[in-house]
Amino acid sequence: MSAAYQQAFERFSGTLDRGDRDRRQARFERFAGAGFPGPHEERWRYTDISGLAAREFALPAAADIDLGETLLAGCDHLVYVNGYLDRTRSTAAALHGVAAAEGPDDDGIAALNAAFDGGGLQLRLASGETLPRPLNVVAAIAAPSAPGMVHQRHRIELGENSQATVVFQFAGRGGERLATQRVEIRLAPGARLMLYRVEDEAAGGTLLSTIQASLARASTLRAVTVDCGGGLARHDFNIALDGAGAEAALAGLYRPQAGGHVDNHAQVVHAAPHCRSRMLFRGIVDARTRAVLNGRVVVQPGAQKTDSEQRIANLLLSPRAEVDAKPELEIYADDVKCAHGATVGRIDETALGYLRSRGIDAGQARALLLRAFAGEVLARIGLPALRAALNARLGFPAEEPIEP
Amino acid sequence: MLEIKNLHARVEGKDILKGLDFSVGAGQVHAIMGPNGSGKSTLAHVLAGREGYEVTEGSVRFDGQDLLALPPEERACLGVFLGFQYPVEIPGVSNLTLLKAALNARRKRNGQPEIDPADFLAWVRDRAKLVKIDPKMLSRGVNEGFSGGEKKRNEILQMLVLEPRLMILDETDSGLDIDALKIVSDGINAMRSPQRATLLVTHYQRLLDYVQPDRVHVLARGHIVRSGGPELARELEARGYGWLEAA
Ligand SMILES: Nc1ncnc2c1ncn2[C@@H]1O[C@H](COP(=O)(O)OP(=O)(O)OP(=O)(O)O)[C@@H](O)[C@H]1O
Ligand SMILES: [Mg+2]
Repeated sequence: MSAAYQQAFERFSGTLDRGDRDRRQARFERFAGAGFPGPHEERWRYTDISGLAAREFALPAAADIDLGETLLAGCDHLVYVNGYLDRTRSTAAALHGVAAAEGPDDDGIAALNAAFDGGGLQLRLASGETLPRPLNVVAAIAAPSAPGMVHQRHRIELGENSQATVVFQFAGRGGERLATQRVEIRLAPGARLMLYRVEDEAAGGTLLSTIQASLARASTLRAVTVDCGGGLARHDFNIALDGAGAEAALAGLYRPQAGGHVDNHAQVVHAAPHCRSRMLFRGIVDARTRAVLNGRVVVQPGAQKTDSEQRIANLLLSPRAEVDAKPELEIYADDVKCAHGATVGRIDETALGYLRSRGIDAGQARALLLRAFAGEVLARIGLPALRAALNARLGFPAEEPIEP
Repeated sequence: MLEIKNLHARVEGKDILKGLDFSVGAGQVHAIMGPNGSGKSTLAHVLAGREGYEVTEGSVRFDGQDLLALPPEERACLGVFLGFQYPVEIPGVSNLTLLKAALNARRKRNGQPEIDPADFLAWVRDRAKLVKIDPKMLSRGVNEGFSGGEKKRNEILQMLVLEPRLMILDETDSGLDIDALKIVSDGINAMRSPQRATLLVTHYQRLLDYVQPDRVHVLARGHIVRSGGPELARELEARGYGWLEAA
């Protein structure tokens, strides 16, 4: 481990009060002991981040950057630049906070995140409460002059039958960076959360995100994740269906840009009976990019009447493109319905030829076919502003709102 | 309008067309008939510019222009339209999206602005009426879940919307019920004009009863073995192809 982590921690913890410092010191020591996971670990086989240990990251200074059209219209905003709350742009600044991270940490990354956590969204809804507008959390990192790192932790706790829509956008703007983002979600009985997680990390940046969700009885989590960056991103999305009748629907699209590496590990644990889970992933992978998808469903003993489905489809745009997509299923109950499948295909040349025969040039015809492929995921995005922004970012033609 | 000279074409290393010569003048309808596997669809695809078909000899001129030098989308923008024998299903790309993109591609090529969305819809609705397609079906994916006959009518709808100048219809009449055949024929006739030319690939006299051809060509084993007037089609109906292939 480079000495830079220790130096950064000393500088950071010097600003904290005694109790906080001690708590974080313990987390930092755990990180220093565990380090970053290595490729010898099965879960990290395809994404080697062991090189991060030797890097010399410092906590960056506050910065102002042009967020362009990143902020979504029609939402409340909570905006972070370099990990600092941007009060002028944040209409929901009151939701910012730092919570003492709960242990134990799953790994060195979680410990690192807890040690340096600069705070983030702290959303708590009381029973029956509905968040009036979608909440757009933006965590942007400017291109720092020196290698920089940002660590944030967010928490969403929805009370019984409460409802919220939250959009996380993680974006890096170049330069050498490390970001860890952790989101902890607790849904009380009957609560409903619509969650979006968009990653657009530029080349040179590494983003490690973890979302941990625990769902009580009859609560619902719907999530859509989109990866469209050119950096290295690793996401762990862990959902525990802890109460009977809970439901999780996770849809993800990944289309790394040139040089990009995206690794999604999604896991749903059915820990209670009568729960339903759906995972749908679509990947568009070109040469000079790398995509990894690991979807895992675990049905624990007693989780009878589990209904789960996992579908992964990938489109390779070049003979040199590569994807590692694997659905996994572990079942310890007998009365369950579980389906899973993964496919890897290529663009449909017959369809391409047909569109071209109608006068549509090859580039546009391809874009239409890619949009159609991605559409299964993008169609689940209920926020038109977000859908339009992603269409544009992914190079797809705008959807035409035409009704016959 | 369309001049085909000594056309040879090959698919997957196999010679399919072995020297075709014929011309279709503006305003004319020519029928191409011939046994299964004789190369009719190959000819249609070569004219439309589908990839995978290699022209080894000969030339094709459309309004004096070398058609073979152009990619398929440019041929389409010039006014070449192929009604596919097997129309393709494209889930996730709606019929309206295809029509609009195709229309705008032509307009762009002609230096015109994109079509106004309201005008577009009105135009498509008007055309859909001619082929009795419910405009609601047009929000679905291209040909997605369409029956065989609906797909063929949809090809004609695309033709009516795009208003090509050279219409190549590859067995658009196959698999149609009697009413649909009438609808499709009416659609083709609606497009006939002194400025347009039509190439009808068909196995059946019935279509030619509705759409009178000026010339009939019989293709067998990659050659045109006989050309004649409309009476040739009736003779084939009565006698089959054997007497020609033997010749
Ligand atoms: N992609 C291909 N690969 C190999 N052979 C092909 C291919 N496409 C066509 N052929 C062959 O070329 C020959 C001509 O086929 P084509 O489809 O042009 O016939 P057709 O006259 O349209 O027949 P039909 O009346 O059955 O539609 C056939 O022997 C066919 O098997
Ligand atoms: Mg054919």
